[in-house]
Amino acid sequence: MRQILSIATTTVGEAIRRRVLLIILLIGVLFLVVAPGLGVLSARSETVVLRGMMLGIIQLTSAVIAIVLTVYMIPNEIERRTIYTILSKPVQRWQFLIGKYLGAVFSLGLMMALMTAVLVFVFWLQASDQSLAAVGAMVKAPTMYFVQMSLLAAVAIFFSTFVAPLVNFFLTGGMYLLGSLFNPFFQTLQENQGTHPVTKAFAGIVNTILPNFANYNVQNPIINPTQVIQNESRYYLEVTFYGLFYIGILLVAGILIFDRREV
Amino acid sequence: MAAAIETKQLTKSYKSRAAGNINVVDNLDLHVEEGEIFGFLGPNGAGKTTTIKMLLGIIYPTSGEGFVLGKEIGDMAVHRLISYLPERPYYYEHMTGLELLKFYGSLFGIYDEAKYRALLEKVNLHRDMTKTISQYSKGMQQRVGLAQSLLNDPKLLFLDEPTGGLDPIAHREIRDLILSFRDEGRTVFISSHELSEVELICDRVAIINKGIIERQGKLTELLHGGRIEITVGGVDEAFLKGLNIPDSNIRGLPVGVLMDMPEEQDPNGIIDAVRNRKGTVISVVPRRKRLEDLFVETVTNPALGGKPSVPPAVAEEIVK
Ligand SMILES: Nc1ncnc2c1ncn2[C@@H]1O[C@H](COP(=O)(O)OP(=O)(O)OP(=O)(O)O)[C@@H](O)[C@H]1O
Ligand SMILES: [Mg+2]
Repeated sequence: MRQILSIATTTVGEAIRRRVLLIILLIGVLFLVVAPGLGVLSARSETVVLRGMMLGIIQLTSAVIAIVLTVYMIPNEIERRTIYTILSKPVQRWQFLIGKYLGAVFSLGLMMALMTAVLVFVFWLQASDQSLAAVGAMVKAPTMYFVQMSLLAAVAIFFSTFVAPLVNFFLTGGMYLLGSLFNPFFQTLQENQGTHPVTKAFAGIVNTILPNFANYNVQNPIINPTQVIQNESRYYLEVTFYGLFYIGILLVAGILIFDRREV
Repeated sequence: MAAAIETKQLTKSYKSRAAGNINVVDNLDLHVEEGEIFGFLGPNGAGKTTTIKMLLGIIYPTSGEGFVLGKEIGDMAVHRLISYLPERPYYYEHMTGLELLKFYGSLFGIYDEAKYRALLEKVNLHRDMTKTISQYSKGMQQRVGLAQSLLNDPKLLFLDEPTGGLDPIAHREIRDLILSFRDEGRTVFISSHELSEVELICDRVAIINKGIIERQGKLTELLHGGRIEITVGGVDEAFLKGLNIPDSNIRGLPVGVLMDMPEEQDPNGIIDAVRNRKGTVISVVPRRKRLEDLFVETVTNPALGGKPSVPPAVAEEIVK
């Protein structure tokens, strides 16, 4: 356990110093700060649309950071031979991989927390209700995004155990788009009464294999205007468990591949 | 003495598009004794790093087996007792020397600030321990690498080209450190291209070429077979030939005649004979065999052709 923690901490230390990530983060924050100034929107819908826009910025920035951060993580360790000194110590490969993954998730959490703080601050300034509960409501969506990004990082780590970073970039990015945009489509296909059984089975398979990133696009009126959630807390809990389960499977599969691999 | 490292037909092959499977390490039988400094020599691409990585469980052998400190390779328990300095190593640049030791120490469960400082002092970095690795020179990075390799008080160290790319002063510092490891009772397995250095510090060596061990043994035995050159004046070549020294060569020089002969020959008899003939002895020069000669001979001599070589001592007996 201490090996995993040491590796994770070190990974965070490295990640928060990576210039590319900091630049992406800076751009994201910049957009967040100027977003309220874009007063092109009608006053009535302003807050709702602005909120959706800012959440969109957070989500997009986080996704780019998550992918850029994780696709290079394992390959870099191998290329720079830092992994050799680590694996020659009493560290198992699975501990190394989990440590790296946790480090990525911690780093993502830090960066997302920063962006969320900007979001909360902007709304808190102009909100009539400045209670803690109101703030709590505001961080719900970013929290769900965090689960989403953790899942995305697990996808990237899984692929990084056997494909090159650039391929991984498109693979993971593609999975994210597919899982965000098409998963709802396949879900409808699967659940629809009139669907042909073959199509239905196919949709079911796609649905199961493809990580359902759309789950977490809650409270974003731009992306999911029609999503209605009856029992909020239960829904959040369910999709969080879905995420954790999926992450677990990805990590175990990644470890199995990484264990056999030459480094 | 017990074996620190023992391999039996250890083999690693890689697929290549041109040549099918090539054995990068080919049926390697290594034997390293506890407490010795063992030099692992060979030209670029001979398979040295590949062998070390197999012994550390970083890559997996295609066939054969290997034992490190009596345990089969890959055994995690052994990793507590060994350490590794990779060739051209790289450390997390954002860390300071002290933080680096903390990080590697934590992987062993060692949280001992005094120990980190003592190790940095041992490698002469105590004044630079708060600088980040990115500010370290190559020599300093290599020394911090040696410091981290001592964290767990290892019984066996794998050093892959520890002096590669360093200046003469750094060379000497690292050489002295390695010698101190032996004094502390550690076994050191060192891969190197610095043959004069290896000659100074190693007890035994193996020379590997294209994945095959060509020579392995005590340095003193392998370097057996030096020559003695005697230059004399006032006598002619025929006189020296008449002495019938086995395996000798005689040729005329402007100043006299030069004869070289195996180092086992006692030069005193020849000197006496020359003097009795009223000749003069101009010089007697022992030409010790250098590791470099042995290396070049081993690597370039196609006659050896990958077959286990005949030790020079035996070869001479065959000649006699
Ligand atoms: N992953 C790999 N795939 C294919 N060939 C490899 C791989 N790793 C090493 N080799 C080949 O194995 C051979 C031995 O490499 P190795 O690094 O062990 O040599 P070395 O003796 O350490 O050389 P050097 O003195 O240059 O460090 C080389 O020909 C190299 O090209
Ligand atoms: Mg090498």
